[in-house]
Amino acid sequence: MVLGTPEEQAFDDIVFIASQTCDAPIALISLLDTERQWFKARIGLDVTETPIDQSVCQIDIDQPGVLEIADLTQNARTSDNPLVTGDRAFRYYAGAPLKLRSGEVVGRLCVIDTHARPEGLGDNQKTLLSALARQASDHLELRRIARSSDRLAELQTALVQVGERIRDSADVTTMTRESSAIVGQVLDVSRAGFGLVDDEVTCIDVEPDWTAPGVASVAGRHRFEDYGAIRDHLARGEPLVIPDVLTDERTRDDPAAMRALGIGALVNMPVRQRGRTVAVLIVNAAARRIWLPEELTFLRSVADRLEAGVARLRAEQQQDMLNGEISHRLKNMLSMVQAIASQTLRDVPERAPVESFERRLVALSAAHDVLLQTSWADADLRVVAEAVVEAIGFGDRVHMNGPPISLGSRAALSFSLVMHELMTNACKYGALCREDGRVDVDWSVETASGEPQLVVRWRERGGPPVLAPTRRGFGSKLVRLGLVGTGGVELRYEPDGFKAELSASVRDLAQA
Amino acid sequence: MNTKPIVLVVEDEPLLRLFATDMIEDAGFEVIDVANASEAIAILEGRPDVRIVFTDVNMPGGIDGIKLAVCIRNRWPPIAIIITSGKPWPLGVAVPHEAVFFSKPYRQDRIIGTLQSMAA
Repeated sequence: MVLGTPEEQAFDDIVFIASQTCDAPIALISLLDTERQWFKARIGLDVTETPIDQSVCQIDIDQPGVLEIADLTQNARTSDNPLVTGDRAFRYYAGAPLKLRSGEVVGRLCVIDTHARPEGLGDNQKTLLSALARQASDHLELRRIARSSDRLAELQTALVQVGERIRDSADVTTMTRESSAIVGQVLDVSRAGFGLVDDEVTCIDVEPDWTAPGVASVAGRHRFEDYGAIRDHLARGEPLVIPDVLTDERTRDDPAAMRALGIGALVNMPVRQRGRTVAVLIVNAAARRIWLPEELTFLRSVADRLEAGVARLRAEQQQDMLNGEISHRLKNMLSMVQAIASQTLRDVPERAPVESFERRLVALSAAHDVLLQTSWADADLRVVAEAVVEAIGFGDRVHMNGPPISLGSRAALSFSLVMHELMTNACKYGALCREDGRVDVDWSVETASGEPQLVVRWRERGGPPVLAPTRRGFGSKLVRLGLVGTGGVELRYEPDGFKAELSASVRDLAQA
Repeated sequence: MNTKPIVLVVEDEPLLRLFATDMIEDAGFEVIDVANASEAIAILEGRPDVRIVFTDVNMPGGIDGIKLAVCIRNRWPPIAIIITSGKPWPLGVAVPHEAVFFSKPYRQDRIIGTLQSMAA
């Protein structure tokens, strides 16, 4: 709207030309709203606005063409107008409508004389007055477009910021409070918040909201019924847009609850899901306010995004809980397997295989812990390797070096078993059974053969003389299964230390 | 005269309780075993000679192993505690003083080593 904006030269020029052309002492560009008329430009008059009921311009505003009243004192609709009866003594009026391209008539360009003019304007003067009115309308339109596109850009930027906050928030409270702050600030209102509604759409649980300085929060549970006839509206999924709670038919009967919260105008934007209102975005202004269509569109987008963001977080929380529960049961089951094996094998005299079994079981369980932390998505190779080394010990003598590599859940489990066997062997026969022995684990991605291959190199140094084993036990078979269970393993029993090279395609690792 | 240190095993799952009991007895301790925290507290109130409590976390009856550990730390400060669970240790909760946490399944040699150093 151009209402209330500063004077501009183009409009001043138009009223000057109108006044000269029509030989009238007063010329005005008068813009009308429901309560007042406001003079965008004026010549010969000392007031900037009047109440709408004193406006001559609003008479027959829906009629096309020039309105001309030769003697205001003789016209039934103007004879008791204070501008006519009072000191300003208006007598003659002629006004051409200001019509936007949309067809909306926003006011009039008029000329006024303090003497009755029974002869009226000449044809030329009327034509010129109409032409000037079209000029003024074009200027108004251009300003409106410029202002509204600035506003749109502002709202668009705010919407992008809301999207970022929603994406980056790890909990519902942060998400709704930060998004509400952006909404509240860009609309320059007193309060903004978001809440989920119950199945019957009787109550809303407002999350911690944003308020302008000095304005109280409305976080918590509210019954729609307590605030007027607004519930049915929201239940139907229609935006509740109230420019003035004192005059709106849904709230005027008992605006006390609204006023107690300092609400003069409001928008409640419902979010629908499967035909049901599930949430409402709330915006409150302290004073009366006209809500623009682009603001309502903006609020609709924010409300939809917030609801989707909250639903996403809830689903993630549920998934985390479920993963935790499954993992807990799985580990209890592994504990039971351990207990059964231990009891069953209690009388077996040779203890080493029994202990090996238990250690492998524990290694598998540790790999599950790593995967649980990533919700059974990808795990990093180094994190998996460190969990195994942590469980066995010797962390200070195992040196790891390599880039981040993503392992799928199956690859993470098989790699952790391989790591466990290599570590166990190093402790029993290799570098880790001597105090100054060490192990280097390096990995890199090599692309020489076309498809990217991960190569993990295990090198022991400082251990006792190396002897190749005479028979292949289960442990060495496990190692030979490799990174994804399909081989790609080379073992070398070199005099200065045992070496293993494990390779697999990066694609298989991430998918396995 | 019995000089074996006494370990109180608290575990609701019978098979795991049997397993833990055998493991700890084989390591040279005397074991009293119970199925929940309330029974454990009843034992502790009547037996001042318990040196170590070995407890699960998730158990029926309202008091879990973590609350039991906190209660023991307050009422019987000299008793050492081993806590085991299939769940990770809860974020933001401190492990009580003189208590050690093990993830389940655990390595028997680690548990026994810890028991021995606690009893020493």
